[in-house]
Amino acid sequence: MEDKYSSNVLSGGKLGMVEVPDSRLTRYIVLLILSKILKALGIFESYDILKVVHIVQFIFILKFGSAVILLVFQKPFSSGKVISKRQWIKLVKHAVSSCIISLLGFFGLTLCGPLRTLLLFEHSDVVVVALLGVLFTNSGGGPSKTRGAAFFIIAVICLLLFDNDQLMAKMGDHHPEGHHDSALTHFLYTAISLLGVADHKSKVDSWSSLVVPFAMIIFSVVILEFYVEAVCSAKMEAPRCARYGAFALFPAALALANFWTGPLRRPPPTQLATEHVLSGGVIVSAVFFVIASSILTAPSKKGQKGTLVGYSPEGTPLYNLMGDALQHTSQSLPRFIKDSLKQILEEYDSRQIFYFLCLNLAFTFVELFYGVWTNSLGLISDGFHMLFDCSALVLGLFAALMTRWKATRIFSYGFGRVEILSGFINGLFLMVIAFFVFVESVSRLLDPPNINTDMLTPVSVGGLLVNLVGICAFSHAHAHSHGGKSCSSQDHGHSHHGHSHGEHGHAHGGHGHSHGVFLHVLADTLGSVGVIISTILIRQFGWLIADPICSLFIATLIFLSVIPLLKDACEVLLLRTPPEQEKDLNSALEKIEKIEGVLSYRDPHFWRHSANVIAGTVHLQVMSDVVEQRIIQQVTAILKDAGVNNLSVQVEKEAYFQHMSGLSTGFQDVLAMTRQMASMKYPNDGTLIL
Amino acid sequence: MLPLSIKDDEYKPAKFNLLLKLSGWFRSILADKTSRNLFFFLCLNLSFAFVELTYGIWSNSLGLISDSFHMFFDCTALLAGLAASVISRWRSNDSFSYGYVRAEVLAGFVNGLFLIFTAFFIFSEGVERALEPPDVHHERLLPVSVAGLLVNLVGIFVFQHGGHGHSHGDGGHGHSHSLFNGSLSHGHGGHGGHGHSHDGHGHSHDGHGHSHDKHGDHGHMDDGFSAGVLLHIIADTLGSIGVIISALLMQKYDLMIADPICSMLIALLIGVSVVPLLKESIGILMQRTPPSLDNALPECYQRVQQLQGVYNLQEPHFWTLCTDVYIGTLKLLVAPDADTRWILSQTHNIFTQVGVRQLYVQIDTAAM
Repeated sequence: MEDKYSSNVLSGGKLGMVEVPDSRLTRYIVLLILSKILKALGIFESYDILKVVHIVQFIFILKFGSAVILLVFQKPFSSGKVISKRQWIKLVKHAVSSCIISLLGFFGLTLCGPLRTLLLFEHSDVVVVALLGVLFTNSGGGPSKTRGAAFFIIAVICLLLFDNDQLMAKMGDHHPEGHHDSALTHFLYTAISLLGVADHKSKVDSWSSLVVPFAMIIFSVVILEFYVEAVCSAKMEAPRCARYGAFALFPAALALANFWTGPLRRPPPTQLATEHVLSGGVIVSAVFFVIASSILTAPSKKGQKGTLVGYSPEGTPLYNLMGDALQHTSQSLPRFIKDSLKQILEEYDSRQIFYFLCLNLAFTFVELFYGVWTNSLGLISDGFHMLFDCSALVLGLFAALMTRWKATRIFSYGFGRVEILSGFINGLFLMVIAFFVFVESVSRLLDPPNINTDMLTPVSVGGLLVNLVGICAFSHAHAHSHGGKSCSSQDHGHSHHGHSHGEHGHAHGGHGHSHGVFLHVLADTLGSVGVIISTILIRQFGWLIADPICSLFIATLIFLSVIPLLKDACEVLLLRTPPEQEKDLNSALEKIEKIEGVLSYRDPHFWRHSANVIAGTVHLQVMSDVVEQRIIQQVTAILKDAGVNNLSVQVEKEAYFQHMSGLSTGFQDVLAMTRQMASMKYPNDGTLIL
Repeated sequence: MLPLSIKDDEYKPAKFNLLLKLSGWFRSILADKTSRNLFFFLCLNLSFAFVELTYGIWSNSLGLISDSFHMFFDCTALLAGLAASVISRWRSNDSFSYGYVRAEVLAGFVNGLFLIFTAFFIFSEGVERALEPPDVHHERLLPVSVAGLLVNLVGIFVFQHGGHGHSHGDGGHGHSHSLFNGSLSHGHGGHGGHGHSHDGHGHSHDGHGHSHDKHGDHGHMDDGFSAGVLLHIIADTLGSIGVIISALLMQKYDLMIADPICSMLIALLIGVSVVPLLKESIGILMQRTPPSLDNALPECYQRVQQLQGVYNLQEPHFWTLCTDVYIGTLKLLVAPDADTRWILSQTHNIFTQVGVRQLYVQIDTAAM
């Protein structure tokens, strides 16, 4: 009984269709994977054969061979029903279209190599149907499917745009006498030459030498795949089949593409570049294809996850399918983005941060693109640094959003603390940056580099402009720039604005905060002034040492200005009694002790949860003859005056206190005792659920 | 009528003696095995860094100096861990009514963040190198990486009781490239890579110290955490192997691209392995309901609501103070004629059984 209703079984979450465990299907999965790998091998092989055989001949041989073999095995004429005329027409249509498809497929193979063909062409019908369903129908199957489709599309785009396969360019000039640079051709060549029937340079001389590869292709690409797919889809669901197929096929193709041009090959002396190069785009797109097909074929989880909310009077478990589970996982991504955008734009603070983030990001991307275009490493690395800084901004934005989320069952106090955490993280960010600026400036102090002031001007002016925009946008806030680092040509001229804003979100909390903000502003102003001064010094007098000194100064200032912020955040995170309320709370506690009937209080804990929530708990010992409710109300009122707005008071009468103090001293013993008691006692009381 | 609340203001010495304080800290560090090991390791690292710094200044090698600063940076993480292990043993006072136990969690969080920073920097450097592979002098990479592995092994032996010591000397690996190409502003000295792998190790250790605290206490009840530890170990091992492989590839086949790819991979591994740690500590810092109680609590609520006289249960808040201490508050709406004392003790019983040690139950009587 106990087991059956234990929470593990109940709130495991799955109510829907049960998947057969993988262990029972291992045989079929292995078979499937093997057949997929063989298929990849076959495609690679046929690519090589297609170089010597014309495509029409190739397809004819392929179809003919497979037809003969299948005829022998399946016996379509001697078994089964007679085919009607209408079915014949269908058959012919099917045959023609499949011929055209394979013609196109193999033509593509000759054009763009086996790996890309595999990536584009060999998708299971389940995946394609799911993709089309997402793209062109409304009921695509939820957010996860949309994600899968997005992955798929990204993969295709990656393959189209970022894959500079220079096969076409090389084809003409490098090997005019035919492509014998691929591994298999060489392998075949050597193998055949061993047999004594060697030639593959001219168009097909000896068809006999191609029998083995053709047989292999027919076997692996057509026959084996057909049977294995049939068996596997009989034993497993089709989506699973497709998933494992994709898992096997794409990595196998990648590996083959790598190795066949790699160590297996006997390197031809004239040839330096391999024909089908593994570019980053192909790898990325292969990974994305695998992810996409695994997502698209994953069984729809909708409505299968629930949280246990309790038991009905009959004892059957009740699930809440709409609660926490939905809030985080099942919201569709586009809608989530739309909603959060709306929320961001609603509030002034977050709107400003958002605009600034957009500005920063645009600046970054312009920089990155320009850097890639002009192949300037300095700009690229600077762009990455700016992206890093943007992450702080994103964090602040995210925190501003998250604090407005409602409390859930899991996060019962709400998400107000995100703000503090993000302030803390931003502070740490700033510290790290200050540290690195410090280190770099020390190393420059010892060995001042030759600074190219030509680059300095546009970069620093740009940074200053962005900062000015920032200042205008957040006129109430402050923006800070240590473009000071931009003093060198290969370094960074970005504004660290972002940080300050993230923190600013909660900067109005108290004295400590405003102090921190003041310091911050001071540091920033001095920093900007420092940059200008160092620029002038370098320009006018050629004092290169001014730059590292200036950066040292800025780093120290940042460091000092961040410390109070970090200290505040740490105190909140360590659950300190809020310093501003400390006096009020002490006097409130004294007042509580004077309430009539209160003996004393125990374990008073007060802590700030977020900017506007102060939580508190206190135990009260009261005399046994007073009305508890009245005391609770009085205490709540007193503490509310002191600023505590999330309070719970536990009122204890003396006998109870004895009991509880016993409980807390010999914890383990009492725990064992209570367990024993519970097992004996509850059935009598009728308090146990079962 | 005895006052049960104690203010320990009176017991504090009026003026702090710095020497006394230092010796007190020292003693408290040495008292516990974990913090002692941490301390020795920190000393080792710091002395190494100082030797490097003085040698760098003496020989006027810029690479060595900047490398020693990197080591100091990594030492800060170690220092944070050490400080946390001392601070978390401080008594609670009026201001910090729960004591300082959370420092431990905070230190874990900071360490996780630092690791993420490191991973990010290595990653971006890897991307730069992948775009423009520098000419790496790989003759010295293999001995250095093997030495890093050895140092890590020593670390594992020293901290053996903790379950795992983990090495990402490879964390330093990212830096050590730049020293091998000896190029621009961030070139390091020749044996800097070694130092790096040291400190990467040290600062990983501090994560280790942290995880050790947790592991010892409740490692058995929290599968997620031990999974995180496992992940960490796997990531580190793979990382070391990756460095050696890339060194071999560069030596045998001249595949220069292997190096940045390897460091990117390592960065990813570090990032991934840190995520569970970060997630857990963020959960604690945000007063999340303890994951280990997720399943048990609804049942408890149910049982409390079935108690005689309880109408309703409101505002249940459960959160983790530090690793093993759970705190809960809840409000019960009860019938006017209910036996509140019985309800109170029953509620305490119910929640004590699932491990909530400190419980505050406010009993509100429903209006008639």
